[in-house]
Amino acid sequence: MSGLEQFRDRNVSQNYYKVKIEPYPKSGWEKFKRVVKRSLKLELFVGLKITLLEMIRFNIHTIQYPKEKLPIAPRYRAVHKLLRLLESGNERCIGCGLCEKICIANCIRIDTKVDEFGRKVPTEYTINFGRCIFCGYCAEVCPELAIVHGPDYENASEQRAHFALKEDMLTPLDKLKEQKEFPGFGAPTPAADRLIKKTPLAY
Amino acid sequence: MSEKIKITIDGKECEAKAGEYVLNIARANGIFIPAICYLTNCSPTLACRLCLVEADGKQVYACNAKAKDGMSIVTVTENIIKERRAIMEVYDVNHPLECGVCDQSGECELQNYTLEMKVDAQHYAIRDTYRPVKKWNFIHYDSSLCIVCERCVTVCKDMIGDAALKTVPRGGDALDKSWKEQMPKDAYAMWNKLQKSIIGAVTGGELDCTWCGECISVCPVGALVSEDYHYTTNSWELTKIPASCAHCSATCHLYYETKHTSIENPEPKIYRVTNEFHYQPLCGAGRFGFDFENRAKKDQKAFDKAVEAFKKADTIKFSSYITNEEALILQKLKEQYGYKLINEDALALKSFLEHFAEYSGKSLPSGDVKAVHESNFVISIGSALKSDNPRVRFALNNAVKMNKGGALYFHPIKDPIIEGIGKTVVPIYHKPLQEEAALYFVLQEFADKEKLPKYMREYLDSLMVTKTKEVEETVKEKVVEVVEESVIDKKTGKEKKVQKKIEKEVPKKVKKKIEYQTSSLYEILGVDENYKDKLKKVLAKKERSTLILGEDLLTHPRAENIAKLAGFIDRFTDFEVLLIPPKTNSLGVALICDLDEEAGEYSIGYNVKGDFTLSALGDGDLDMPALNQQEGTFTNIDKRVVPTNVALPYDGYVLNDIARALGVSDKEYTIEFTRELPESKGYRAIAFDDLPNEFGNDMSENRGYVLESKKVHLSRKSVEPMEELSELKGTVIYRCEPVLQFSPFTNRAHQLQEQAKLYASETFLEEFGLQEGDKVNIQKDDITITLEVALDEKIASGAYVGTFDKSVAAASLFDGYRFTEVLMQKV
Amino acid sequence: MDSAFVIETIIKILIVLGLFSALAGFGTYVERKVLAFMQRRLGPMHVGPYGLLQVLADGIKLFTKEDFIPQGAVRPIFMIAPVITAATAFIAMAAIPMFPEFTIKGYTVKPIISDINVGLLFVLGVMATGLYGPLLAGMASQNKWSILGAARTAIQFLSYEVVTGLSVLAPVMIVGSLSLIDFNNYQAGGVSEWLIWKQPLAFVLFLIAGFAETNRTPFDLLEHEAEVISGYATEYSGMRWGMFFIGEYANMFTLGFLASLIFLGGFNDLWFIPGAIAILMKVFFIFFFFLWTRASWPHVRPDQLMWLCWKVLMPLGVINVVITGIVMMF
Repeated sequence: MSGLEQFRDRNVSQNYYKVKIEPYPKSGWEKFKRVVKRSLKLELFVGLKITLLEMIRFNIHTIQYPKEKLPIAPRYRAVHKLLRLLESGNERCIGCGLCEKICIANCIRIDTKVDEFGRKVPTEYTINFGRCIFCGYCAEVCPELAIVHGPDYENASEQRAHFALKEDMLTPLDKLKEQKEFPGFGAPTPAADRLIKKTPLAY
Repeated sequence: MSEKIKITIDGKECEAKAGEYVLNIARANGIFIPAICYLTNCSPTLACRLCLVEADGKQVYACNAKAKDGMSIVTVTENIIKERRAIMEVYDVNHPLECGVCDQSGECELQNYTLEMKVDAQHYAIRDTYRPVKKWNFIHYDSSLCIVCERCVTVCKDMIGDAALKTVPRGGDALDKSWKEQMPKDAYAMWNKLQKSIIGAVTGGELDCTWCGECISVCPVGALVSEDYHYTTNSWELTKIPASCAHCSATCHLYYETKHTSIENPEPKIYRVTNEFHYQPLCGAGRFGFDFENRAKKDQKAFDKAVEAFKKADTIKFSSYITNEEALILQKLKEQYGYKLINEDALALKSFLEHFAEYSGKSLPSGDVKAVHESNFVISIGSALKSDNPRVRFALNNAVKMNKGGALYFHPIKDPIIEGIGKTVVPIYHKPLQEEAALYFVLQEFADKEKLPKYMREYLDSLMVTKTKEVEETVKEKVVEVVEESVIDKKTGKEKKVQKKIEKEVPKKVKKKIEYQTSSLYEILGVDENYKDKLKKVLAKKERSTLILGEDLLTHPRAENIAKLAGFIDRFTDFEVLLIPPKTNSLGVALICDLDEEAGEYSIGYNVKGDFTLSALGDGDLDMPALNQQEGTFTNIDKRVVPTNVALPYDGYVLNDIARALGVSDKEYTIEFTRELPESKGYRAIAFDDLPNEFGNDMSENRGYVLESKKVHLSRKSVEPMEELSELKGTVIYRCEPVLQFSPFTNRAHQLQEQAKLYASETFLEEFGLQEGDKVNIQKDDITITLEVALDEKIASGAYVGTFDKSVAAASLFDGYRFTEVLMQKV
Repeated sequence: MDSAFVIETIIKILIVLGLFSALAGFGTYVERKVLAFMQRRLGPMHVGPYGLLQVLADGIKLFTKEDFIPQGAVRPIFMIAPVITAATAFIAMAAIPMFPEFTIKGYTVKPIISDINVGLLFVLGVMATGLYGPLLAGMASQNKWSILGAARTAIQFLSYEVVTGLSVLAPVMIVGSLSLIDFNNYQAGGVSEWLIWKQPLAFVLFLIAGFAETNRTPFDLLEHEAEVISGYATEYSGMRWGMFFIGEYANMFTLGFLASLIFLGGFNDLWFIPGAIAILMKVFFIFFFFLWTRASWPHVRPDQLMWLCWKVLMPLGVINVVITGIVMMF
């Protein structure tokens, strides 16, 4: 299995193995026999050997978190991002309010208005991270792939109610080139082209 | 018409009136038939064809199929499913996929029916046409979203009476004939029509109407929306609060739709007002004038001062923009402390009702707005209908359009809007102060003389005069002509001239003087003697008639006799009399409070100026909640006690708090007084929370309850004869609010804010050599006000000023009667 | 008594107190590091290079933390209990010869505070007194967990006192003295002379009992987190709690010295290694062994502990004494 396949493989039961547990001794004699047997097998020293060997091998697995970080899965659902259109740099969000509606933690709020071109634009977009449960419904329901989950999971705060405003989440214009599509909830599947019903055109 | 029949719809037996539409019967019985274009109380459009049903094996449209006894209706067949689905697919052709931003998304009938008909693929296509967005004042029309169901056109014509919208050519590609074989019949026909038309203003460019905004309400998609509401929120975010409109005495049912103001400001705000358009229309003041709330906080100092002032005062002046419960509190204050209660409009109404009752035998007039809707002959006297009570105007229009009825409109100011309703609306523009004559005219022309008491019959006969007039008659005269003919003599073969006499009948016009009997009222009122020709058909089929009486009569110098006459008409004729209370709750105040005529020395003003003023407008000494921040009831034009609800919170003090401080009230909430409203006046002891505020599927109005009309002893005195009053001379102006305005409260709403002006007709401007934008000084006695002149194209004579702008003391120009002589000077 | 002796003793006391307090702190660092390495972790890394200053940070924390005394506690006893633990741990060290004698500028220093001839008895006696610390702390705390911890203290310490006594009885019989210097001198002949070879069973019993006496895994039932929160120390905070810790670590070192002196040749030179370094190596190995077992073995249950004490270790100890006696008779 390749790395990604392994990651996607939800059938984890094949990797389980069962420990054999001997029947519990009932009489005192049986217990004594078990003590003798275990003592003779030097079970205690097996344990000591394992720990000592581990120490000598010095195969450390610690990741020193603030300095080092584990790579996260591409579909990881962390703090939200508002994306822009790559060609024009315009905001993708059209202020349809579906994320606001679907949000089961009720933590999204949008203010909208008409702009000078007669389009609906969100003037402000907030997510209350004190409430957000990072379920990903907002990203899934978004028709414009505008609100997505980013990779930044560090959202500790001094306050219980910690808000992200639009300017915190929106891709800055100068970083437009680095903007990445979110491959998780809400992104079109590879089969989307095949599955969609095509509307006839008279042109 | 009213005979009962039985029809079967989908196996369910339904009772109905003969001639009722199948769709309405189904709806009344809770059976669902899809329909987009049909509007109750309006004529069927047959634009959408979704209401296709099978009646006795034949496909008909439920919205215009009249029920016959024993009819059997099937609402769903295989073919109908196919048709409906194809129709919805056609509606979806080229419909922009912008549900994400569309204001209607979530309550869109196109969305709903597309899902209902299970449309999951598109089979039809045609090249799209460029359809631009139009902005018409309050109204935003995005024609690319329009599905041309024509509901807006229908409602504007049949309900509102502006007829300002129509379908115009779309200019799109013609439908390819090959579609005809490929798709169901009705869907093709519907598409064919759809592809040819789009909605436009009758004038061609700008929409010219009275801005009721009912077209916004009826639009099933997001094509017609309020410019102010456009793209500010989504419909599902809003909380609908059922309430009653607080601007005029029609107290129409509406929903205040609220949401938090913005992310920073969690205070609720009203985003828009919607109404149940299938049951009741709503005028522009109600629809656009919703944010008249008073955002005040508790001010303990001001409250203490108010209590002090109440202890000092001997008079309470108040307006009728209060609830019944508040009126009751005021009455209780009077009972305990002996305050004089001053409210001019309610006092006028009260005395009118008292005199009316003496001659009609009933404490309340018999008519209501529904009666106007159902009448086919309506007379309106003494009201500038479109300004005073738009709902009644809509009802009058609806009656004329839907019942093929006719109307007489008595008013001194020429009104092209009323005239525009139809040819069967006869305007009678009499001079001011002639309203009494108008009532006698009604008696003389439409009363059954046999039923009238003798003195009245004799008086009416005495009004008859003999007149001569020249009539051109065509008389056939016998003329003898001598004609010379050439005849060939058979014998001689010669031509011979013979003279012959021929008798001929030739038509000849002869002028003749004839004498005839006519009423002197024709001349007094300026009625065209041939007006009845226009109403010939209407009068022949007259079934139900209504007489609308307006505010001009209440304040008339002869109001007492007019009231008696009105009572007389209510008793002795077929007319149902509908009296329009001048302000929202004038009727409630008139019934609940014992009003006084003379004010005392120190007065408390509630929503009017007093020595100490309580004001919901935020300009007084103590703030009071506006009517969209209060719960309570109104007594409206239909004599109905309707509940209204709190749309926006109010943090300050209310009248009940003062009453509690003065030991008059022991109630925590004002609405606890609802069950204490005086039963002697027809109110019922029902708690506020038990009052419904909704409509039934069968068109029934379940709003509050209707006041009981009590029996009253008849007066033995006879109605006085007409009295001639001296004519108003010089510059005459009228007290009237412009359309969309009623009071300072409407003017407070951000969409309706405007400065008071002198609204003048074109003829008035010409007469006085004025131009729009000029400033004039208007002087009456020692009061002078300066106003800008504005042209009002919706009147054809005269001029008026409104009292809605509290910065202008326009009301002081008038002393009771709504017409007054003034001195006008151009500045 | 001459004043030099007094000064010398005071200096020694200060050194022992200071050094072992510091060592107790450093011991926690070592413990955390060793446990971490054995569990493929890094342990403290952030305070100072390789987390070395973690001890200092912990110290500052302990000193500055609020000294909290619960409302229902018996105040004087609650306050004095940790002092008993720490004090007995240090007092026990008075009779332990840590290093060989050495000379500074002609002045011979004996690295023992008080060379009494019943040193071993003194040490064991004082260590046994340490039982009062946790016992009183638990009983004074007015807390269910604490009282459970106190009860466990009583049974565990008292029971294993027996095993300790029996296990050292046999070496005492062989050496014929209770002075620890005599024990050391008895094993002066090199590795082959170590008492561990003559008394292997006694060594094992002593070590096991030592685990129980110092309240170390697998016998740390007094403050077994999973069962009784923190046992007798539940209500303690700040430096008062820290004193229990210092006592525990000081006891570990005491035990290390005892085991080294009695069984592992004491501070005699080992091959080329000088005696002072040799004994340190032995002590640190025993200390390391404490940590090593903690990383490797699970806790036992109280009933298992008692079972082990009274049904296994005590009989073995008695048999060991009897056999030793028999061997010595012939």
